Amino acid sequence: MAKRVMVVDDSRVQEVQIRNLLEGTDYEVVHYCRSGEDALAVYDQVNPDVVTMDIIMPGMDGLETAQAILEEYPEAKIIMVSSLAYEDTFDEAKAIGAKAFIDKPFDQEQLLAALNTALAE
Amino acid sequence: MDKAIPEDKLREGLDRIIRDVTQASAGIALVPGEAKPGNHICTVHIGFRRGFHSSLTFRADAALFARMAQSMLKVEQVTPEDLEDVGKEYFNVLCGHIATALYKATNVSARFSVPSFHWGSYSPKDHTEQFVIRYSSGQNEAAELVHHIPAPQAENGGIQSSQT
Repeated sequence: MAKRVMVVDDSRVQEVQIRNLLEGTDYEVVHYCRSGEDALAVYDQVNPDVVTMDIIMPGMDGLETAQAILEEYPEAKIIMVSSLAYEDTFDEAKAIGAKAFIDKPFDQEQLLAALNTALAE
Repeated sequence: MDKAIPEDKLREGLDRIIRDVTQASAGIALVPGEAKPGNHICTVHIGFRRGFHSSLTFRADAALFARMAQSMLKVEQVTPEDLEDVGKEYFNVLCGHIATALYKATNVSARFSVPSFHWGSYSPKDHTEQFVIRYSSGQNEAAELVHHIPAPQAENGGIQSSQT
């Protein structure tokens, strides 16, 4: 049975790209949220195995959203997805409990490695 | 501590990043060009809101944005909405890489606004153009990256962090 992925990104381009990259794999995008607020509202209902979370979003950014989800659902597996790939951002993501970080743009191998890492813990 | 980056270093870094990210994101090789984008232009813009004061715009022929959309969405037919969404996502990724490079050069952690997309040419009203880097896609499409700085700082050159 495919692992259920929820994509949180203000750009639907990212959702389309992740959906394309996961075709034929053990993962499936089951829900897409365009904002951190939407993700918080539906997380419990969707109950995904793993979340991919963009950092730069209007309203609640990805780090704030991930922190809020993890406070309410400590077992949540969240991967931060961003092109802000430097120590300051890595440290913030790690501090709030994100399981992995993917640097945009990414390919299928990098995405699957991050998803597997998140679910392996 | 002075966190300024000289203009020539900044230009060199931006040039490398835009070529790398455009190739990696959309499979399009940009090469140095002379021509300005034509009449049917799209523009994406961001402003730094933490760490630095400057802003960046990327103007290009709509045909180049259309090819990016075809590549990034893996579709043949693209809509105006596709161009807008892909333009914003492309520039979001590009500016993330720029912020990463700035962090490595200055140790200043930058954040930037959500990209805005404009049909036609756009320039931020409270900034002035400091320099322009022009490109050709090799398929009769032109593009340019413009670095803007706040008008009173125009004579200083380079880029100045807000954490000096």
